[in-house]
Amino acid sequence: MQPRNVARAIGIIAVVAAVVVAAAFAGGLLLGPSTQSEAPNAPAYNTNELIAEPIEDDGSVTAPTDGQAKTVVIDMSHGNDVSENDLQPLIDALVAADHNVRMYSGGTSSIGSQPGAAFNETLRGADALVAASPATTYSSNEVAGVEAFADAGGRVLLAAEPPTTTSTTSTVSIPGLSSGGTIAAAGQPTNLAATFGVSFGNGYLYDMTENANNFQSVHAGGDSGVADGVENAILTDATPVTTGGDASSVLTASDVSLSSTREEASYSVAARNGDVLAVGDTDFLTSSATAGDNDVLLSNVAAFLVSGDKEAGAPASPSSSTGEQNGTMPPVMTA
Amino acid sequence: MTSLDGSGRQLTLVLVLVGLLVGVAVAPQAWDSANEPEGTVAVVELHGTITGDSASAVIDNLREARQNDSIKAVVLDVDSPGGTASASEQFYLAVKRTASEMPVMTSVTGTAASGSYYAAAPTDNIYVTPASVIGSIGVRATLPSANIPEGQIVTGPDKVGGSTPDEVRQRVETLRRAFVGSVFAERGDRIELTREEVSHAKVYAGATGVENGLADEIGGIDTAIAAAADDAGLSNYNVVRMEAPQPSVLAQLGLSTATSGDTTTAQTFEYRGVDTVQYLMLHGTIKTKTTSNTTEVTANATA
Repeated sequence: MQPRNVARAIGIIAVVAAVVVAAAFAGGLLLGPSTQSEAPNAPAYNTNELIAEPIEDDGSVTAPTDGQAKTVVIDMSHGNDVSENDLQPLIDALVAADHNVRMYSGGTSSIGSQPGAAFNETLRGADALVAASPATTYSSNEVAGVEAFADAGGRVLLAAEPPTTTSTTSTVSIPGLSSGGTIAAAGQPTNLAATFGVSFGNGYLYDMTENANNFQSVHAGGDSGVADGVENAILTDATPVTTGGDASSVLTASDVSLSSTREEASYSVAARNGDVLAVGDTDFLTSSATAGDNDVLLSNVAAFLVSGDKEAGAPASPSSSTGEQNGTMPPVMTA
Repeated sequence: MTSLDGSGRQLTLVLVLVGLLVGVAVAPQAWDSANEPEGTVAVVELHGTITGDSASAVIDNLREARQNDSIKAVVLDVDSPGGTASASEQFYLAVKRTASEMPVMTSVTGTAASGSYYAAAPTDNIYVTPASVIGSIGVRATLPSANIPEGQIVTGPDKVGGSTPDEVRQRVETLRRAFVGSVFAERGDRIELTREEVSHAKVYAGATGVENGLADEIGGIDTAIAAAADDAGLSNYNVVRMEAPQPSVLAQLGLSTATSGDTTTAQTFEYRGVDTVQYLMLHGTIKTKTTSNTTEVTANATA
């Protein structure tokens, strides 16, 4: 065969092959299986409202510097669920304003003394008391001491959390085993508050519509006293405060629901009775101290604590009730 | 003429006989052809906790259903308490895509809660039985540990926890908006509850679900299959089951540490020894470190 003929044959083969491949490609494009459908549109993923906005978290807590230095005692002796670190915003503000802060962790009372004598002795040298989220109850002697302390013009801040008694029982799966030793309404200074006509609620407050990125973070506001300038406090774990007697509500959360009843209403979350302030939230003292208007609220609370005018020596020591009044004396042992 | 007529008649007879034989030979095929299924309804299982791996397997099954020409409709057989948030969203998109191409029904054969309800939301109809469990439309996350543990060097303040508690709260809220928003985008015309009521994340019995619009009808899986076939225009169809990935052999033998359905996040998600923030769309009580410690303490105290 002539080389020319060979080349011609190869050329024909190549052209035919190319035509066949092109035809198959075109046929595949036109007649082949349909391609993947378009990606589905997920409407909820494409809205401006999808991303939750961060909560405004700036501002600072301050305490008034005018007047004399006051001593604020923070009770830690009742298993209080706050630490010095947690309370740093409040402590820093008080210290920066030249006030004294003492953490009372108890334990120095002598053998044979009345229960709570050491606690009451500490109060004697104090101008204000902070009792936040206790795990154990206050003894009757301590309650009487705090009552006398408040009667003498000492400022008292009671802060509570929703009761936590259910957490231990819900996860126990062994039949017949129950946690019998839990203390009722842990996290709430119940008997202390009752003395001043205040009681804390049995559940947490929540708001499914207007909340600070979580249903448990409710907004609260007020217009006078410690709530002066507080339009939008954010309470992340609040329990309602019920008032009776001379106590009156100072801070209110509107259109929120209570977890235990699921009832929607306006709930009071802070109440004041003379020199006693009871707040149904502990987080505003600690982790959420600067969220929303909490810095204003906590500054007002700090001012409340240091603006009292307490008589020296109250509560009176057990001996002084019958004899001379001397507030600086150590607790007298009673046999 | 007569002889011609006679031979013609004979020829006709032969031809008729041959035709008859041929016809009889071909008739069974014709019979079969008349009764040949027009298509297939695929039952895609969505069973067990949704993790990245189990989700991939089921999503592959759904893709197979879309690409296989003989499959004309899908029934999602759901019995799952949900799982991780990201896998649940993947599921939702895969089911939504399938539902845009062919009829897709859901049959709740046990539980369709949280993440698995998310997956069922874009289907055409949700079939339940009175005892089915549906709902739990919500998100949860474990909180990160804030402190840098001793003996570790990290390159930034959030390397340990990933984000601050406030940011976790914000992200959980974002996921909730996506979840509740998607449920309403798919079924808003049928749901009788408000967005707030849905956000309570309740679970409902099937019968209640039909009433409040989270489900459509009472019916078993056969009802769902028949409805899917009907929607696809099939009167004669095959049913194939695409099974969910089986748990490991150890777990099937009961040798796994996760006994009696009490799975912890560590067991389910295999983050042993590493405490990672988990974003979950999961129904049920999770045993976190804190609560299990509490349980131990309680047990010791009463022992």
